[in-house]
Amino acid sequence: MDSMAPSVSRLRERPRLLILTPDFPPAPGGIQVVAHRLAAGIRGLQTEVIAPDSPGAAQFDAASGVRVHRVRGGGGLRGGRNALLNAAALKHALSFRPDVTLSAHIVTSPAAAAIRRARGSRTVQYFHAEEIGAKPRLAAFAARHADASIAVSAYTASLIAAAGGPPERVHVIANGTDIPSDPAPRPVDRPTILTIARIEERYKGHDVMVRALALVLAKVPDAQWVVIGDGSLRPGLEQLARSYGVADSIRFLGAVPDDQRDAWLARAQLLAMPSRLPAGEFAGEGFGIVYLEAAAYGKPVVAGNVGGAVDAVVDGETGLLVDPLDPLAVAEAITRLLQDGELARRLGAAGAARAQTYAWSRVVERVEALLLAQLDGGAGAADGQRAREPEHGGS
Amino acid sequence: MCATLRHRGPDDEGVHSDVASGVTIGARRLAIMDIDGGHQPLCNEDGSVWAAFNGEIYNHPKLREDLRRRGHRFSTNTDTEVLVHLYEEYGEAMVHALEGMFTFAIWDQRSRRLLLARDRFGEKPLFLHEHDGELLFASELTSLLEVKPQLRELDPYAIDAFFVFAYVPGPGTIVPGVRQLPPGHLLSWERDGGVSRERSWWAPPERGVRRRESFRSVAAEAKLLFAESVRTRMVADVPVGVFLSGGVDSTLVAVAAAEASSQRLKTFTVGYDTGAVNETERARAVAGRLDSDHHEVTLTQADVAERAPAVLSRLDQPLGDRAAIPLHALSEFARPRVTVALGGEGADELFGGYPRYRWLERARRLQSALPEVAVRSLGGVLRQSGRVRQAARASARLAPTPVLERNLDWVTSERRHRREALYGPRLAQLDRGRVLANLATQAGELDGGTAARWLMHLDQVHYLPDDVLVKTDRASMLVSLEIRTAFLHAGLAELAGSLDTSMHLAGAGKALVHEMLPPGIIPAARFGRYRKTAFRVPAAEWLRGPLAPVMSRQLEHGVIYREGYFDRHAAEVLVREHTASTHDHSDQLWPLLALGLWADRFYGLDGA
Repeated sequence: MDSMAPSVSRLRERPRLLILTPDFPPAPGGIQVVAHRLAAGIRGLQTEVIAPDSPGAAQFDAASGVRVHRVRGGGGLRGGRNALLNAAALKHALSFRPDVTLSAHIVTSPAAAAIRRARGSRTVQYFHAEEIGAKPRLAAFAARHADASIAVSAYTASLIAAAGGPPERVHVIANGTDIPSDPAPRPVDRPTILTIARIEERYKGHDVMVRALALVLAKVPDAQWVVIGDGSLRPGLEQLARSYGVADSIRFLGAVPDDQRDAWLARAQLLAMPSRLPAGEFAGEGFGIVYLEAAAYGKPVVAGNVGGAVDAVVDGETGLLVDPLDPLAVAEAITRLLQDGELARRLGAAGAARAQTYAWSRVVERVEALLLAQLDGGAGAADGQRAREPEHGGS
Repeated sequence: MCATLRHRGPDDEGVHSDVASGVTIGARRLAIMDIDGGHQPLCNEDGSVWAAFNGEIYNHPKLREDLRRRGHRFSTNTDTEVLVHLYEEYGEAMVHALEGMFTFAIWDQRSRRLLLARDRFGEKPLFLHEHDGELLFASELTSLLEVKPQLRELDPYAIDAFFVFAYVPGPGTIVPGVRQLPPGHLLSWERDGGVSRERSWWAPPERGVRRRESFRSVAAEAKLLFAESVRTRMVADVPVGVFLSGGVDSTLVAVAAAEASSQRLKTFTVGYDTGAVNETERARAVAGRLDSDHHEVTLTQADVAERAPAVLSRLDQPLGDRAAIPLHALSEFARPRVTVALGGEGADELFGGYPRYRWLERARRLQSALPEVAVRSLGGVLRQSGRVRQAARASARLAPTPVLERNLDWVTSERRHRREALYGPRLAQLDRGRVLANLATQAGELDGGTAARWLMHLDQVHYLPDDVLVKTDRASMLVSLEIRTAFLHAGLAELAGSLDTSMHLAGAGKALVHEMLPPGIIPAARFGRYRKTAFRVPAAEWLRGPLAPVMSRQLEHGVIYREGYFDRHAAEVLVREHTASTHDHSDQLWPLLALGLWADRFYGLDGA
């Protein structure tokens, strides 16, 4: 473990916040972004972060201005890495003495619970979605041992309750989005449908998109589907595309740097990602931050009418929510947006306006208020301002 | 032409003729949805688009809803009408929206174009004759021949292929002038100019994809898709039951159907009064645990004596799949109680259920590890020790035979090697290599993938549509019962096709079934004993018993011997040895019987 010298100057006027996270930039991913934006954005608390080491971390941390304690080791085993992370968090907490601990993922909840118990401090637990289905018992533990839980959508809140977490401590705070400095549309030579998601989980609906594309092409023959993201399901998807005879209308770009991704967001006519609820006990789209990112670029969205997407997209206002298992419904929504420029523009504009309320600065404010409330109100604070409803949007 | 198809659609008949363009489409109907309102052919609001349709579109309520939202007006509650409006919306791309088993014809009066399409797996048949700008099509070969009697002749190469496979491989037919629209294909024909264009719109995934995926999540996905498949296949305005063989696949279907059904499920099984195979007990046990309204029929030897000749001769193409007989008996027995039955067909081809895939994959790996010289010397040692038969078998199993031939010999009991002895002068001059060459063309290149996955794909485009589904469709439709296959669901097939071969080979199919079955239906301890037994048939016993007189009549009068296709004397030797029980020649005698009975009727000689 690479331990920084304990902070000497204790700024008594600001309470101390310790963020525990298994994922932190420069590693890519959604949870990484959440943890980083909070750590960088929260002003009312003195914040430090415990996160695993990753390639390029030292340079990133030096530039970011966030105090991050990197934990090395654990080998290739995720379980080992998480165990070391929890142990390091606990050890660090003894010197840092946080007033409140924010656990960004349930895998760091054991340390958060132990710190809470050892120090009598407050704990807030973040919930996304997928992890609750994968580890329902740990999720229930995490929810029970936290003073407050943050669910990124009403769907996630329902998953927490289903796993056995106390619903009265759950607060729905959606993830934020970066507002682009230049959201102006860029020219593109073909009508373009964009999907941005790792091709790792079936529930993202890439397969339904292939089937839908075969129908879309009947009406918009020169349409192209640009697929950003990579993953182990990609070869199967490419095969499916050949099987449907639509391979020539698809561009699989793989994982691309942020600037290229942003360029495609500026070019595309719409973003389509018909996420469905996965089978069995698995959880689906927690919120679908990519819907908001597209909205921030003024793009209308086609999404599934289930899971977290219903919080991220307002049907008929910022996008079209459809049965994600019905290729025809998906195709019709896409075709409508490709053919009706006026509709696409209207939904896109409404989406862009709504995305402003999800700017990271706003989300950070909400989380910060929740953290401070834990300190002000003591044990009853969470109950006093419970927020089962989404704090904005959704309605 | 429609009258010939009466058994396929006993409830109604209709024809639409576009006099100006000289185009006629017709249909006979077995009423399952909207029994009174579903007269065919059907048209759109202004009569410019007409459809005739055979099969079922399981997602038609959802499609109807989507189309209504887009402003289409419906006058019936049938799936045929959905086709008409879907065509107006999407043209020939409409096929991608369809989940089901179907063939259909759509006549578009405005563009003077005819669209023909066949479902993904080839569950429903479509025969074509094209000549000089003219196009004829029908669900059965027989109907086409009625319109064009001059086509009535046999293709010796199709007979050759039939003897090797015991079915007629598509896209050809037993008649030289008629072909089939392959599964997952559509054909568009322009009235002006009489040109047609045929293309594939769906093909089963060709190879597994190597990737990490948790077994639990695949199983959950498969379970979800399967439940959805069964649920939509249970929808009908007539009673629906399940054909239960006692094997794992049909048990799964029954379990899912019982879950999806608000009423007590009806299950049906068939047993025999001879032979060692009897699955009725196991089916009964499953039915008991599901508390279904269970029915058993025993196919007696007396029954077989009449049924087998009737069924084998009445099929529109010869079929040597002996399971057609019990399936016909079961369908006839069930027909007064249900109009639709769910079956487990296709599961083995999709999920790698046949042990053969594993063995041939192993053999191929062994072969690449084992020097040819070692194989030859093993054969030599066995031969010298007097064990000639074992030597021959070991050499055959271990010799560096291409995997395609090895597979062919496995599934056809090496019939291709018996052709020399059995063929008469009419077949003697054929190029015997053509069967294998055609098969190789259809199989495509192995191309770095595993042999197992390659063979699964071949079975999906060859054995499944041309044997399994022909048997399923014809045997049931002969008595106007519709079998719906619960495993042949597009999403499920695509999921299965994308699985890593190692998942299939590691017995994941079986494990998937474990995962999908509720506990207690099949006791875990007995699971290993549930081998491939789906509707096994005591054909060897029948050929010695009730069908022996039929066979000798065949030898005496049968057209295939009289016309010199097969050598009567060689066949007699086989029959004699088989009857004396010194040999089991049922693998050769059954196809000969099936072909002989069929050909007699084809030449109008049946009952002679």
